[in-house]
Amino acid sequence: MKKCLLLSFALLASAHAQTTVKINGYGGTDPAVVGDLINRFVKPALAKDKITVVYEPLQGDYNKSLTTLLAAGTAGDVFYLPAETLDGFVATGKVLPLNGLVNTSPFIKSLNTAFTRNGRLYGVAKDFNTLTLVYNKDLFDEAGVKYPDSTDTWATLQTKLTTLKQKLGPDYAGICLQPNWDRFGAFAFATGWTQFDSKGKTNLADPRFADSFNFYTGLARGKVGIQPSEVSEGWTGGCLKTGKVAVGIEGNWVVNFLRDNAPNLKFGTALMPKSTKTGKRGNFLYTVGWAINSGTKNRAAALKVLNILTSPQVQQYVLEQGLAIPSRTALTSNAYFKKTDPGAVNSRLVFDGADDGNVRAFTFGPQGTDWSKPINEALAAVLSGQKSAADALKKAQADMNAFQSR
Amino acid sequence: MQRRQTSAAWLFLAPFLITVAVFFFYAFARAAYYSVTDFNLFNTPKVIGVKPYADVLGDPSFRRALGNSLVFAVLTTALQTVGALLMAVALNRRLRGLTFFRAAWYMPSITSSVVITLIFLWLFQRRGVANYVITQAQAYAPLTLTFLLFLIGVQVTQVLLERRRALPAGWFDPALGVTSALLATAVTAALAWIGVISAREVPPFDYQYFADKWITLGGVRILSIPLLVVVIQNTFTTIPTLMLFFLAGLQNIPRALYEAAEIDGATPWQQLTRVTVPMLRPVTFYVVTVGLIGTMQMFDQVAVIGSAAPGDTLITLAYYVYANTFKAGAAPVNLASAAAILLAALILAMVAAQRRFFPSEAS
Repeated sequence: MKKCLLLSFALLASAHAQTTVKINGYGGTDPAVVGDLINRFVKPALAKDKITVVYEPLQGDYNKSLTTLLAAGTAGDVFYLPAETLDGFVATGKVLPLNGLVNTSPFIKSLNTAFTRNGRLYGVAKDFNTLTLVYNKDLFDEAGVKYPDSTDTWATLQTKLTTLKQKLGPDYAGICLQPNWDRFGAFAFATGWTQFDSKGKTNLADPRFADSFNFYTGLARGKVGIQPSEVSEGWTGGCLKTGKVAVGIEGNWVVNFLRDNAPNLKFGTALMPKSTKTGKRGNFLYTVGWAINSGTKNRAAALKVLNILTSPQVQQYVLEQGLAIPSRTALTSNAYFKKTDPGAVNSRLVFDGADDGNVRAFTFGPQGTDWSKPINEALAAVLSGQKSAADALKKAQADMNAFQSR
Repeated sequence: MQRRQTSAAWLFLAPFLITVAVFFFYAFARAAYYSVTDFNLFNTPKVIGVKPYADVLGDPSFRRALGNSLVFAVLTTALQTVGALLMAVALNRRLRGLTFFRAAWYMPSITSSVVITLIFLWLFQRRGVANYVITQAQAYAPLTLTFLLFLIGVQVTQVLLERRRALPAGWFDPALGVTSALLATAVTAALAWIGVISAREVPPFDYQYFADKWITLGGVRILSIPLLVVVIQNTFTTIPTLMLFFLAGLQNIPRALYEAAEIDGATPWQQLTRVTVPMLRPVTFYVVTVGLIGTMQMFDQVAVIGSAAPGDTLITLAYYVYANTFKAGAAPVNLASAAAILLAALILAMVAAQRRFFPSEAS
């Protein structure tokens, strides 16, 4: 009798079994955005499968939090996977390769490449960003200098900035230069330089690297280019906000920032300048993907959720809300990109940047963010005038060698 | 009976022993093991020998962390020990409202260090209170200088007059001091009112504390300015705790010693250096030991300030260990463990050296 009762209970339970798919992602505004997507698109589609979806944001440092959750075996079934830290997470063996499980052909190719290691695809791009030149129209008008445009090379851009600086005087600057890889790297790529050679080593002594390094740091000469800290700011967006700096190198995220923090600033956007020697642009792809936990017990349900979250309907909705730039090629012709307001123009150029010149994923390789440290230190030392470019590069190469031989 | 007593003792000791065994001995053994493997938080560790130690020692960040930690430990321990001693001596007197002062002085120590760090970040911002105070000090320098000039002048005149009348008056006589201060205030106010002196127009003092700035010695970077701010903060928050130890120690010094010293004509300074300091030696030993260990392990302030200070200006050994353990995905936990073991060895060596060269017994 007792056995019978237990058995019927078990049957009852399985008949009503709800699969819960847990998603881990960023905090901030993401819980509202993803929550909205879940309610609008995921829930209606999965109601009949008895799959419920919950979004658990990880506040603070996302990468650290996800690391501890993965190590403890309590991470979500589906989670955000930033391309820049992909290698570290792939090395954990906790990310499910998606080859054969997801159809990747509708997505921008370079984005798929960004999530691929040794032929295995570990994530599907949720959205992406690239760098553009964002400029203050008023300052160019006042100096009587032509706006930066998509035909500019490093040399012509430098001339424009130098003239602007001469016309406007000591209180103004031509360009804001962050002393780090996340901005400078785009210039290094324009020369055709690559981050790692076939043995996985980084060569900073490469003349192409030195060429871009000299250009970037050379902009600081005569205070044409300044670091954000020189105007008491932490990043390029802050530089532009002050209205004292004419150009910043930023992605689409700067649009909302400027709208909130400098509503009267008239800004325009141009593509990154081309290398004077190679005639090519360089750019970073900043992207976050959807990935699946290899230890999940609900693989089929997790895949369904992932497919809905990257579906054309969801991406169109996200684009039209101005939330992010979609990763599907088919959306190139979306009406939103044809608008002429500064935000939409910026979105279009960011979208175009993904496919123009030497575009590489923003990543640090298998040893993580510390890879960029020698480069950042060299940039900071030269931009602040503490070292010559040659000395700084020599030290950076020595530090890089020590780092990579670990 | 004996057996029962022993087992009761074990029973009472058990909570402590278990905690120490699990969270100290077990954790220490694991860290020591990981430091000779290729552990990355997710793999099965494989022993690879002392390579992690070589890698750690070859890492410029580690060397900077080591330098920062040593400089921080020596500087902060010295400052807070001297400061705590002086404050304890000051508060050991019978003053009106003594309990209030003792409680007030103790406030920084019981406030969360995270909160204090945030307050300090705010104080030392580019447009923060520190720069504002310096700007104001520069602006009002004519007034303050006039005041000081008159204060000293009047005080010297008064003392000389008293002495001519063969009355014993010290240069810092408080009663005369109050009169001098009042007079100097009156004169300064009068001069300011007539318009002879006034506040100057000065540009705002514009110094960036949390920047890549260093105090160098012969071209070697010794102390970064951001770390100096943390030194000041740590001294400020730790002095009160250490002061309590010194206060307790002061209660144990017999009054008779001071009476004997006074009869022999010792000045207050001589009493401090010849009686108080030697008699407090056991307490000082404890205070210095606790100070060294605490400062070598300093972590929270650095973690809170985080990326507000650039690059390696603030990195300490404890922070280096943390930063190498929690990264994105697989992390060089073996390097972190090696650094942790080196840190432990270093602290042990420092305390051993201190025991060897600075005897803890009262002389």
